[in-house]
Order: sequence, then C-alpha cells, then structure tokens
Amino acid sequence: MRLRNDLKQARLKRNLTQETLASMVGVTRQTIIAIEKEKFVPSVKLALELSQALDMPIGKIFRLESDQGGTS
Amino acid sequence: MTGMRAYYISRALLSVGFGVLFVLGGASWWVGILIAAVAFGWFLLAPRIGRYSVHPERGVTALQRDERSQMINDKAARNAFVICMLAVAGVALYHHSLALSSVPTAVLEGILVLGAAVYYISDFLLRRASS
Repeated sequence: MRLRNDLKQARLKRNLTQETLASMVGVTRQTIIAIEKEKFVPSVKLALELSQALDMPIGKIFRLESDQGGTS
Repeated sequence: MTGMRAYYISRALLSVGFGVLFVLGGASWWVGILIAAVAFGWFLLAPRIGRYSVHPERGVTALQRDERSQMINDKAARNAFVICMLAVAGVALYHHSLALSSVPTAVLEGILVLGAAVYYISDFLLRRASS
C-alpha cells in the first residue's frame, strides 16, 4: 500500500502558496514540497493540520493506493 | 523576519561567546573575530535556508526543526553513531590482535571526525532524496 495525495491540487484550489500553507501548519516550505512530490509521508498530526488548513476532509487529500494501483 | 529580535540578540551574544572561547583557547584575536563573524553569519542565514520552521513568538528558540527535518536529523545521527561504533570495534579488535596495549588517541579522534563526516553527508543526501 502506498500513500498518495492531492495536496498540490487542494492547495491551488485555495489559492495558497507553498510558503503560506507551510506557515499555516508550522513546517518549512521544503516539507510541503516533499509531501506534494510524495517523497515524504507526513505524520497523522500533520496530515490533519493540512486538511484543517485547507478546509477539506483528510480523505480528499490523502488516500491509500495498493501497489496494483487500486485506491482504498 | 519581524519579531525575531530576541533570536538575533541571543545569537549575537552566542557568536561573541564562540569568538572569546577561541581567544581564551590560545587563538589570536583576529581568529576569534573571524569565528564570531562566521557563527553570526550562519545564525543570520539559518531562518532563510528552509532547514528550520520559523516561530518568532518563541523568542530565542524561534527556529524549530519540523517533522521532516527531525526525521532526517535522527537518521543522520543514527548513521553516524553506528559507523562510529563499528569503527571503534574494528580498531579495538585490530589492536587486540596485534597485542597492543591501547588504542592511540589520534585514532579515536579520527573516528570522531569520521562520525561527524558521516552525519553531515547523511544529512545532505537525505535532504536531497526527500525534496
């Protein structure tokens, strides 16, 4: 199983820059970049903070995908 | 960077402290000034390089590692520790096999330098891999 995300799309929908979103959740811009590129898996706490900052349910931003490609 | 006065003042004092420490340790005054300037230069740069999240409301501890930075730091420290322990074990076995009484201090200093190098190289590579 792999954690995928639509953080970039969600952020752009809210017209937020990576810098702004980073300061809203108290992390560096590099961390937002790493999450958007799916090179870093955030903790549950950070994922919840991101969903709160973007005012979107966490399931709309993050999803589990099986190695065969199906989502759950 | 507004509201960072406490951070900058504390780091200026710390930089002067570094410089004084070097002078008291036998370095010439200009080396002390150079060390203080380099240290303060780093502290000026630190809030801008994206390595730390900036929280001006926290005063002197305005720079914090976020969870990605903390994870990278933990991994780099672990790598350095493991390499140091393996090197110490290797050196001890080598000296034991040669029936030497003790390991020279210079070798142990070399292992410390190796540990520091492993830490910084790991940190650099992990940051590159996750950005």
